[in-house]
Amino acid sequence: MLPLSLLKTAQGHAVLVELKSGETYNGHMVLCDPYMNIHLREVICTSKDGDRFWRMPEAFVRGNIIKYIRVPEEVMDKVKEEAVRKEDKRPPMGGRGRGGRGWTVVCVCEGGRGEGGGRGGVCVCVGRGAPGRGGRGRG
Amino acid sequence: MPPKESAVDLSKHVDKSLRILLAGGRQVSGTLKGYDQLLNLVLDEAVEYIRDPEDPLRVTDNTRPLGLIVCRGTAVTLMAPTSGMEEIPNPFIQQEEAVE
Repeated sequence: MLPLSLLKTAQGHAVLVELKSGETYNGHMVLCDPYMNIHLREVICTSKDGDRFWRMPEAFVRGNIIKYIRVPEEVMDKVKEEAVRKEDKRPPMGGRGRGGRGWTVVCVCEGGRGEGGGRGGVCVCVGRGAPGRGGRGRG
Repeated sequence: MPPKESAVDLSKHVDKSLRILLAGGRQVSGTLKGYDQLLNLVLDEAVEYIRDPEDPLRVTDNTRPLGLIVCRGTAVTLMAPTSGMEEIPNPFIQQEEAVE
């Protein structure tokens, strides 16, 4: 499972995005792109210290400032289903096909527990400073 | 090469007020006049929200007029429409109470 395919599957779900600055954004992910730029709806922004909150109808977050994203557990099942479906459709591959671009994303870990606290879930971590077990380091 | 699909669609925000967070922490708002695929923005009647010198994470209500500006795309980290943006009390506490 690729981190970005998990994120793509998480479109339409409630997610938590923490920025490198420490601010968190809770909202429904409308869209994400290969840069990990994320478009959120009905967002609640929490300051780094966790004592100020803002509501905004929508927000666009640039991918390169994201520390990690928490996605709900059920997305995990969906992404597996989709992987199976794709496997069925895909003709046997030769040397061509995917590859080329490497992502800075490091891991997808279950039960990731972000600094944002709250329920467990799946966590996509970027680069260093990622939370949760086994989520550290560069790939 | 930028990917074809993009998470941003700024077309519906043209001539509307946007709040922009820039790399480094400055916050600017202004009327979106133009943009490109690199996220360079043209903002009219832009104002910068001055940050608390004691605590640079905190923005104050003091502003500084900037006029017509071009925001460089690489420095734009967050964009949100100004309308509907408000500071609220902790919404997560209420949710927890509702569960109990």
